[in-house]
Amino acid sequence: MRPTKSDDDALVDLVDAVLRTGAVVEADVVITVADVPLVGLKLRAALAGMKTMTEHGVFEEWDEAHRLGNSEASGERVE
Amino acid sequence: MTETAFDEGRYLYCVAPDGDESLSTTGLDDEPVRLVREAGLTAVVHDCGSLYDSDSATRIRRWILAHQSVVDDAGEAFGTPLPFQFDTVIRGDDDAVRSWLDAESERLTDHLDALAERWEYRVEVVWDEDAARDELEATDADLRALAERRNEADEGTRFLLTKRYETRLDRLLDEQRRAEAADLADRLGGEATELVDLGDRSRAGLDIGDADENVDVLARFAVLATDDEREAVGLLLDDVAADPGIEVRFTGPWPPYTFTPELDGGTDASDEV
Repeated sequence: MRPTKSDDDALVDLVDAVLRTGAVVEADVVITVADVPLVGLKLRAALAGMKTMTEHGVFEEWDEAHRLGNSEASGERVE
Repeated sequence: MTETAFDEGRYLYCVAPDGDESLSTTGLDDEPVRLVREAGLTAVVHDCGSLYDSDSATRIRRWILAHQSVVDDAGEAFGTPLPFQFDTVIRGDDDAVRSWLDAESERLTDHLDALAERWEYRVEVVWDEDAARDELEATDADLRALAERRNEADEGTRFLLTKRYETRLDRLLDEQRRAEAADLADRLGGEATELVDLGDRSRAGLDIGDADENVDVLARFAVLATDDEREAVGLLLDDVAADPGIEVRFTGPWPPYTFTPELDGGTDASDEV
């Protein structure tokens, strides 16, 4: 069996890998969306894995604030 | 909390061992990709003035594909790179990147050496849970005894026996899944440099394509492997997939995202990596 890079399953793995893993640097000089809940809010909300992350309590605080702001500002459907 | 506003920054795709190779490619939003070299290392970057954020799944998907494509190109040019997470930005100009590379050079080099010639693969094994359930119901003596008692019991007792039956069935099924996953992990791990059990961790997805999420996942792994090891893993997966109730998905090669360590500020003296 040879690995594939081109089908939909591969694409799902790729998105997961790029968003969830990869080197994370904690240095004053570096900003990353992973560890700073104040950035990439819209991006995170667009992710299907969002709900699970929230269930694990990782993003609870900012998530609550964000959903509130989001629904007030645009009247978007909040799941 | 980190201040997120900045005037000048460098979006960081990956760090690779330095070489004579050049890289001609474009990144997110067709930004020209450049190399910043220092201390035997190459950082693959583009100039940026803000973080990338959008609520459009299509846009994010385009960015992610662009991010991956740059890391792929860098891998082809320089060998296995240390891929960075999406939206990692170094605040400042090229000098800031150089001093960061310099400060982190020992650790970055160690990690690159450990990953050299190795790539990440993802393995997902899907099983027929209904068939496994049927088999347990047919073969487990305790379940059959419970079923017999249930059939002869009055209504109240029947309810309790049904509960006990379902609880036992669920437990047996879970035990079987775990045992088979552990066995797979052992066998795959024996062929690869390293294996990480991704377990039940749900994936960060973007509702992409036709990827079927409604399947019973027996196990999911990330595997770090050389080309030879990849061949061995592929052969082993052929065996696994020979079982008619089993479906195997094997993707890659990816840059070693899962096997890339977290790098802290570099000031922790107790760090033993």
